[in-house]
This record gives sequence, structure tokens and C-alpha cells, in this order.
Amino acid sequence: MDLVVGVGDMKVSNNPEAVIVTYALGSCIGLAIYDPFVKVGGVLHYMLPESSLDPVKAGKNPFMFGDTGIPLLFKETYKYGAVKNRLKVMVLGGAQILDQGGLFNIGNRNHTVLRKMFWKNNITIDFEEVGGTVNRTLKLEVKTGEALMKISGNELRKIPWI
Amino acid sequence: MDLDKIIQKIDSLSPVSITGNRLMEIISNPDSSLTEIVDVIKYDQAMTANLLRICNSAYYGLRTKVESIKQAVAYLGLNTIANAVMMGHFSKNLTAAQGGYDLNEGELWKYSVSSALIAQSLAEKRHLDNIPCLFTSALLKDIGKVILGTHIKDAFKKIILSVQNDGLTFLEAEKKILGIDHAELGAMVVEKWRFSPEMVSIIRNHHDPLKILIGDDLSISIIYLADTICMMVGIGGGADGLAYRYYQEVMDRLNFTDVDLQKTIADFWEKSKAVEELINMSGGR
Repeated sequence: MDLVVGVGDMKVSNNPEAVIVTYALGSCIGLAIYDPFVKVGGVLHYMLPESSLDPVKAGKNPFMFGDTGIPLLFKETYKYGAVKNRLKVMVLGGAQILDQGGLFNIGNRNHTVLRKMFWKNNITIDFEEVGGTVNRTLKLEVKTGEALMKISGNELRKIPWI
Repeated sequence: MDLDKIIQKIDSLSPVSITGNRLMEIISNPDSSLTEIVDVIKYDQAMTANLLRICNSAYYGLRTKVESIKQAVAYLGLNTIANAVMMGHFSKNLTAAQGGYDLNEGELWKYSVSSALIAQSLAEKRHLDNIPCLFTSALLKDIGKVILGTHIKDAFKKIILSVQNDGLTFLEAEKKILGIDHAELGAMVVEKWRFSPEMVSIIRNHHDPLKILIGDDLSISIIYLADTICMMVGIGGGADGLAYRYYQEVMDRLNFTDVDLQKTIADFWEKSKAVEELINMSGGR
């Protein structure tokens, strides 16, 4: 059963039948976390770095922004018994158009906000593939924690993160 | 690669009908009134039915269902009616899967409609007066991908190596490996369909906007920006990915800041459910 995470969306599950999928990460970031002990996984697909851009929209949908979406993803898995220091963490996306520099490089800014939050909160990343000019799709099998990535135009490949 | 064979394939697309040609003439001619559109489509039952279906989609937010063209015009205005007619007319060529670009059925249509809607919204904010031309150009800018798709599939490894190793854009790599790129091919298609020279030029240069940045016309800048936004958000994201060149000059010309960019992305996201419905309805699903 595919649980599809749309753009600006999050899904967390401990259903062993579930495969959490998010498609076509461009400049957006796909953040996946998984606790192999209680077998709960979650994926967040956020589009923009900081909620200060539009606090009203962030109130309605915190998953649109990195700074509001990331803490909620972790907290949601804790409800299912996940423990922070057991969580495997994977980061994909953050692509950019060629020569897209400075503040307009939203892919890079999406990644930076995540790095800052992880550094402050002592979270280490087990697998990361960020940047470049490609679209990435992510699949996470809740039963095993097996994760697959597809770069558009290429085959699915297994991610070594567990 | 036999370039002639690729170009011959233009004839395999569904041709533009006589009505379609007449509509293009109306929107391209500054001396025409958009009210003439109504006169043209009211005799075409299929087109009228399609138009009303699109106008009644949640995207346009009408409280009451419109049942006649007259009503639709009154509620939505002529620009939107013209755009809806164009979506109804051209969807058949853009909804199929495009294997070479790794796009499933409906994804190229989603990309096309999304970038046209974003372009329309950006143009309206700047009070541009040629909205239907701009919308239609944005909608059809990737029609060349429909022709080039199968050839991309065969040459994909070579193309992607040129992108990765030689620093080429996907467009430049298409040209290097296949002898022609999807923008040029798209321009040839719409030229054959008798689009105006301005629209042909926009489609030919939609990845190279600096080539035709002349005078005060902001159309190419807006279409380029809308395309950039779609690529970043991964709408209809295919094998070509984001491998196109970014031009800060375009943003500067539009006085478009990084905050504007993020707000436009956020605003479009808010409408995404309604957009999805519009895409399905206009694509005949």
C-alpha cells in the first residue's frame, strides 16, 4: 500500500504494509526518518526554508516549510514509540537550476535550514544526496526500513542507510 | 540521427482544427476583440461542452454552475475564457506519457497547465494586455518534447553524459546529440500551426530568454520565470530535471526578488488541489 507524500506534506506510519513514497523532489527536500526497533517511518516533503515568509500559511500547513515541518516529523514518530538516538535519517533533494546563485537558490537554502537544525539538535544524517540538477523520487518500506531512490530517467536504486 | 525523420513527425500530432486556427488568429491580432471567440465557439458543440466543463472546475471558484458561454464570459471574463478554450483544444497533444523524458501519462500536461497558470498570474499582476497569447505560449512551449521523446529515449545515456561531463544544459545536449532541441522543434510545430511570429519566437527561446529580451515586452521573462518555478517545485519533473540555465537578468528585469519567488511558490501550492482538478478536467480525465 503506497502512502503518497505530496509537495508540502508529511506521512508517518508503522503499518508494515505501507510504503511511503514521495515523487519528483526538485529544489524541495525529502527528509525520511526510520526507527528500526519499533519499525516506524516518516517522510516530509517541504518546499521552502523558513516559515517567517508567511506565518499564516505556515499555521495552516507547517509541512510547506523546513523550520516548521522538520520538528513535527520527529515528534510524530515519537508518538509511535520512536526514540531520537535510534532514528536513521536520510535527506534527498535540494536540486538547483544551473548557475542559480545566492538567495534565489532555494534548493541550497532548503538544505541549509535542515543542516542548522540538525547541528543544534545533535542529529546525524545516515544518507544524504542533495543538489545537482536532477529530480529524485523516494520510497520507504515501513516493514523493513528499506529505502529506494529514483533519479528521473534512471532506475530505482537501493539506499544504504539502515 | 536522421533529422528529417524527426521533423517529419510533426505531422503525427493532432492537427489544429479550422476553429482552432480561427481562435489563434483572434488572440494574436491586437485589432480583434476577444468577443469574437464566443462567436467562433458557439457553433462548435464539442468545444462549448469542453469549455463549460473547464469553467466549472473548482479552480475558477464559481458558486453557481455556468451552463452557457454567455454566462461563463460574464463570470470569468474573456481572458479566462480564451485560456480555457486553448486548454480544451490543445490537451490532446500533451496528455500522453513521454517515455524519453520519463514522464507518465498526464505529467507533461500538468507541467504545461501549471506553468501557464503561474505565467497568467504573474502577467496579471503586471497588467499585461496579451494574456491569452502569453498563456497559450506557456501552455505549448514544450510541445517539441512530444516529438523528441522517443529519440531522447534512444540517446538518453549520451545526452545525460553531455550534461554531467561537459556542463551542457539538457537543451544544448539534445541539440548536440540529436541535431535539434525540443524548443526549436516546438517552434517548428507552432509555426506550422500558424501561430503568430511572436509566439513562435517565445517557444523557440523559452530556455534562452536573453536572446529576445527587447523593448518593454515582459512575456518571455514571465514565461521563463513560470517555467523556472515549475522546475524547482518538481511539477511534472522529468529526466531533464533542472538542467537548464538560470538567468538572474530575467529576475532583475521583472524586479522579482527571492521573497517574491518564495511567495509565488507558496501561493501556487495553496491552489494545488484546485489546479489538480483543472488539469484532470481539461485533460479529459
